[in-house]
Amino acid sequence: MSDIRGWPYENPSGFRFKLTKRKVVAAALLVAGAALPPLLLRSTEILSSSHALVLGRAVCFALMALSLNILLGYAGQISLGHGAFLGVGAFASGLLTIQPQLPVMIGLAGAAVAGALFALVLGFPALRLRGLYLSIVTIAFAFMMEESWFRWEPLTGGSAGLELPRPRAGNFVFFEHADYLAMLLVIFVGFWLLDQNVTRTKIGRAFNAIRWDERVAQGFGVSVAGYKLLAFVVSGALAAVSGALYGHLIGFVNSESFAFKSQPNFSLLLVIIVVIGGLGSRVGVALAAVFYALIPEVLRALQGWELIIGAIALIDVMARHPGGFAGAVRKAREKRGEKNARGRLDVVEEAEMPKLPNMPRPAGLPDRPDVLPGSPLLEVEGVSVSFRGLKAVDEASLTVRSGQIVGLIGPNGAGKTTLFNAISGFVKPESGSVKFLSRELMDLPPHARARAGIGRTFQQIGLTKDLSVKENLLLAQHVVADYPVVKGLAWTPRAFDTEASLHERAHVAIAALGFDAFTDTPVRNLSHGQQRIIELGCVLVTAPELLLLDEPSAGMSPGAVENLGERLRDIRDDLGRTVLLIEHHIPLVLDVCDYIYVLNFGKVLAHGTTEEIARKPEVIGAYFGEEVA
Amino acid sequence: MGQAIVSGLANGGIYALLAVGIVLVYKGSRVLNFAQGEMGTFGLFIAFWLIDVIELPWLAGALGAIVVVALIGFSFERVVVRHMGDAPRLSVAVATIGLLLLLFAVELKVFGPSPRLLPAPFSGLGYEVFGFFVSPTQIMALATAVALGVALAAFLRRTDFGLGVLAASQDGVATRLVGIRLSRVSSFTWTVAGAVSAMAALLIAPTIGIFAAGFMTGLFVRALAAALLGGLTSLPGAFIGGVVVGVVEAVVGQRFVQSTFPGIQSVSVMVVIVLVLLLRPQGLFVRTAA
Amino acid sequence: MTGNHLVELCGVSTGFGANTVLHGCSYHVKEGEVAAVLGLNGAGKSVSLKVVAGLLPAWSGTVTFRGEDITNTSVEERVFLGMGHVPQGRQVFPEFTVEQNLRLGAYALRRRDRARYQSVLDGIYDRFPVLAERRNQLAGTMSGGQQAMVAVARGLMSEPTLLVIDEPSAGLSPVAVQDLFETLQEVHRSGVSLLLVEQNVTFSLKVADRVHIMQRGQIVYEGDVGRLDTSKVADYLGVGRLLSKTVLEAAR
Repeated sequence: MSDIRGWPYENPSGFRFKLTKRKVVAAALLVAGAALPPLLLRSTEILSSSHALVLGRAVCFALMALSLNILLGYAGQISLGHGAFLGVGAFASGLLTIQPQLPVMIGLAGAAVAGALFALVLGFPALRLRGLYLSIVTIAFAFMMEESWFRWEPLTGGSAGLELPRPRAGNFVFFEHADYLAMLLVIFVGFWLLDQNVTRTKIGRAFNAIRWDERVAQGFGVSVAGYKLLAFVVSGALAAVSGALYGHLIGFVNSESFAFKSQPNFSLLLVIIVVIGGLGSRVGVALAAVFYALIPEVLRALQGWELIIGAIALIDVMARHPGGFAGAVRKAREKRGEKNARGRLDVVEEAEMPKLPNMPRPAGLPDRPDVLPGSPLLEVEGVSVSFRGLKAVDEASLTVRSGQIVGLIGPNGAGKTTLFNAISGFVKPESGSVKFLSRELMDLPPHARARAGIGRTFQQIGLTKDLSVKENLLLAQHVVADYPVVKGLAWTPRAFDTEASLHERAHVAIAALGFDAFTDTPVRNLSHGQQRIIELGCVLVTAPELLLLDEPSAGMSPGAVENLGERLRDIRDDLGRTVLLIEHHIPLVLDVCDYIYVLNFGKVLAHGTTEEIARKPEVIGAYFGEEVA
Repeated sequence: MGQAIVSGLANGGIYALLAVGIVLVYKGSRVLNFAQGEMGTFGLFIAFWLIDVIELPWLAGALGAIVVVALIGFSFERVVVRHMGDAPRLSVAVATIGLLLLLFAVELKVFGPSPRLLPAPFSGLGYEVFGFFVSPTQIMALATAVALGVALAAFLRRTDFGLGVLAASQDGVATRLVGIRLSRVSSFTWTVAGAVSAMAALLIAPTIGIFAAGFMTGLFVRALAAALLGGLTSLPGAFIGGVVVGVVEAVVGQRFVQSTFPGIQSVSVMVVIVLVLLLRPQGLFVRTAA
Repeated sequence: MTGNHLVELCGVSTGFGANTVLHGCSYHVKEGEVAAVLGLNGAGKSVSLKVVAGLLPAWSGTVTFRGEDITNTSVEERVFLGMGHVPQGRQVFPEFTVEQNLRLGAYALRRRDRARYQSVLDGIYDRFPVLAERRNQLAGTMSGGQQAMVAVARGLMSEPTLLVIDEPSAGLSPVAVQDLFETLQEVHRSGVSLLLVEQNVTFSLKVADRVHIMQRGQIVYEGDVGRLDTSKVADYLGVGRLLSKTVLEAAR
């Protein structure tokens, strides 16, 4: 268990995160248990050879679909050409296992490497492209692969193809379909565990945040480009392995095996499976894959009608349940819970904002810097930002002193949020400098600035709304989850310990905010005011030095705003943090701020202590958009 | 080279038609219609049945096919797309994959897997224009594509409803607030998408010869490339994108006719796409809104 | 009471998903007046306009327009019944010219009475000479103030009896806000009733005859601009002790 210094709270949830011996044994049993049935039933009536082949196909389909699910379901990056990765893997494994007669395990490893490399190549356009643009590029990529590389006879044998051998262990060859099925099942369990490691670590949370909103992800300190590439690489490698496994199962791969024109068209079939199963739902996707592999065998007797019925059923299912299998289940569950939820929400909406938790410095970060109260913490100098020739921020300079609440006011469109974006790194100013603790930030990406100790909220609430309250608080700690990605995928003790401490911090924050009852509630089901509280909790959970708050009072009732004022003072007085605050609510600003900057047309119109600003009616007039006589 | 450009232009015109269908549907429903190609193949089967089995004249058969496929587009919008207004766009795209599979399955069930040959609309060897050989079907393809492009542009720019279709893709809510029904816009785009798909198939059939279920897959991908080059939302862009893809492909194909590396044309199209996207991610013809 | 009410929301509740935004909200616009709905960010002002326009369904309650129940009438039909709109964020069609924008605004008019189009267009050009000058300019390339003018003009092209305006002053410079104010006053003088949602308190108090104050999805205060309880208004709007006097007095 990691050392959490100066912990002021008890762990109220009793949450424990421990790898017990029992869990290890259970995992081992799971692996063995997966392999046993086919081995026991081999060459009996129940599991004939043809049955085993069909089931093997089903397992391969599930592996393929899970690989796409990581990219499409978790990270929200559309690949409509995943068939190409299957082909890359099958050919790579074939080339290694046929001529040099290397073991199939080496072939699979080679497939993984080849798949990862191709995925990296395809991932780069994804850094610039989104949505339909990206999906068309992936189709074009797959099409290019099947029309050229896969047909290149010296390499792939073209339409004659390659004959892939079955794996062997010593003198034993996995020739019987049932034996190979046993091996596939063991690999499937391994896949499943790896997939779990993705979702239970910062990796899966980062993917999810990117899928929801890249800006929110960046706000939480996620390196969007890096994680996008990671999603492509992991997904491509796993797809290639599953393609290779499939190739070794049917013993053959040629230029048409994974082609767009073939039946089945794997690229589209996998998309169908992932969407029908429910984006991001491991169980749903695996079930849908098995269903799709088995159903044609069952309906073969229908002589062509099964294709027609299947297509109509697909359209019908999509029209009725666009969220797929998992979406339908979730909806039904929510419908049941909605009544209570609504009642509860209304009650809590009236509740006061609780005291905000003082989170200790996370283990991964250096100790709190010694800054004398009143000395400059953030220095912005001559920053200009233009959009299409229009100056949104024009030579703006401001200084935020440690231990103060500094207000940033001005009419809509004055450039306040743009200035925030420049400070936190979301837009690149064409000139000027942003110094934090005397260190130049201009060349740092948003996630590095978050790590340096700048936390921020957004005007539109910056939470991943499909994730639960707890998951958001975990995501908010992304910058302090400092284990390497590989260790996360392998679920090493280091990743494990870090995750344990993140979970604990999340639970402490939730308890301190009084949200125990909503720990696992998706954020979108909370009221606006509640979301604001969670958002503040997310900013505070990593204990940043400087908080940039963008209109925290928006949508709050007057009572709640008064309450918010008190909490802001707490942040300054009790927690000793510094706040830069964008607010429209002038009484709140006059009430809590030590110093005020007035922005209009991107320029700093005036600045001074609150008393000084309050004495200048022309400043207030500018705020309201005109002169006040 | 010149000869390659001529055939590239003719094919490019056909890609352009299909790309226009893709872009229209995208503008109207923000969805990639995977069935855009296969609707055309289905039209070929209808035309084959009308011309070869019922023995109608070519033009009548072609018109019949166009009407049937337009109706398929119209009904799919009515029955499926319209009810998925709030659904994630990917789910709607998967529904169009369903339509693709449905058309494919019906073609297989009714006409079987063996390839068919649609009688040619014209016979004759073609003409020499400025020293290049041009076949009558190439002339027909290019003339039809251009005529259709001009007619569509005129309709969209000159009529109130046409303006509404263009407006809907700029701002759906503002379009509703001037009194234009988005459901009508959507109906229109899907119907036209069906019609141009059938036309594209009818125009390419004489060049390729025999056809079977899945015939239009390659064309669909090229049309996607064309639409992407044009920036996905620009109709003139899709048109020019189609021509660019056609010409690049033909010229590269002729240059590397000796190459033992297969599919050099597909690679060239991919390279063009990637280059364009790296330089201009928004496509060649979409203005960044000022 | 409903006799001269042009549009009326009666006990309307609505929201998104599990979040209720309007809780039994009621307000109205009398024929010939300018009514404003004020309130803090997120109070539900714009949502109530969406219900008026038909963009959001009312979960309960009714909407009437010119004495007809239009609760279940579509957005488009409401336009044909005489409702004009200036949508939030000045949603002009950026890739269209000014004239194309105006022509689309006249969609309902042209369906009803095509011959009138030219005279209405000429009338608009008379009233907004800037637009006449720039009739062939792409709307997306114009300044914010000019776009606001295009949006208002487009809303008037269908000759509506009620113009529904959502936060027109947001993001405009003071000079542009002044122009907009004059524009709206003139529109009002020409006999069109206005329903206005605004953040800018001084602006709305200058334009409106009557204001409603909305708080957390309900109307909590209503009164003629000439006879407002300034301290109450200031309180509701969070304008504060400091500003109440100056702002409200400036409005008179």
